[in-house]
Amino acid sequence: MDRAEVMDRVVKILTPWVKDEAALAKVSMETNILEDLKVNSARLVDVVIAFEDDFDIEIADEDVDQVNTVGDAVNLIAGKL
Amino acid sequence: MEHSSGQDVASGAEPHADRATAIRSATRSDPAMASRHARQRWVSMIAGPIWVGVSVIVMRFWFRYRIADVKQTRAAYRRIRGESKGPLLICANHLTMVDSFLIAWALGSGLYWMFHPDELPWNTPERKNFGRTRLQRFLIFIAKCIPITRGGPREDVGEVLERVKYLVARGETACIFPEAGRSRTGRVDESAAAWGVGRIVGAVPGCRVLCVYIRGRGQVSWSDRPADGEVLDVSLACIEPKSDVRGVRRSRDLAGQIVRQLMRMEEEYFDARK
Repeated sequence: MDRAEVMDRVVKILTPWVKDEAALAKVSMETNILEDLKVNSARLVDVVIAFEDDFDIEIADEDVDQVNTVGDAVNLIAGKL
Repeated sequence: MEHSSGQDVASGAEPHADRATAIRSATRSDPAMASRHARQRWVSMIAGPIWVGVSVIVMRFWFRYRIADVKQTRAAYRRIRGESKGPLLICANHLTMVDSFLIAWALGSGLYWMFHPDELPWNTPERKNFGRTRLQRFLIFIAKCIPITRGGPREDVGEVLERVKYLVARGETACIFPEAGRSRTGRVDESAAAWGVGRIVGAVPGCRVLCVYIRGRGQVSWSDRPADGEVLDVSLACIEPKSDVRGVRRSRDLAGQIVRQLMRMEEEYFDARK
């Protein structure tokens, strides 16, 4: 699976938690998940679990500390596939 | 007042983990953290008798707060502490910005904390509320606070969680609000529960969680502080959450158990007042 495909799936997974739909429309690898997309930080855990389920991977707590942007999430996931 | 202990005896942590491993793991990402922690610990121990004394005077005589059944609450806390020398994390509901002070005062008298400042729980206040000015930063430094920016960069949040893991694994105590911010609905809100608290419990073997439900009798919703002259009811329940799942899911599971315990305590609080 290439990164563009991972990116599409990541954005699709993120969509239900996004509060700023305008930011979602111009999403890029640099888009910050919490600050730009306004995903509730308490719900980040649900997003990560959705990543685990969708990509059939396991993500450790500490891995989540490296995820600020959509690109961070894509790279983390791509590294585990 | 509710007091239950040892509901679950299985550890929330991975079976192979031990406390020394937890301490090593917490310091691995930031080797300077241990010396930073030691420095703040010593400063707060020296300054403790002053700020504890001032805080208690302000709460008791200026705001005229009173903790209902305070002797029983403190006796229950001493009993819980005496049951085990293992790690203990205090998790409470959150309605006002001074909850940490009120909880510490409910668990021990001003005099006790003045002579045992090292036993005072550490806190993780929101940096936006308490870390804006140099004076505020100094005061929270001596008051055993580790400021956190909720919703801030994940590395920063991770650093705070690592430090709390470290100090809890060492046998110190921290007070955390699992809902992260104050309950906007005035009730414990499971949907607002962050999973950071589950990360701490999951990483520290044998970590018990002292759930504290605290509420002023006139407290309808969240506020900056309780109204003057408020009488606060406090209930305690000591649990040891456990989980069979792994990774992030485990942390969410453990955090959920703590928040649901607080919700049960809240239900009991309101049932008793019907």
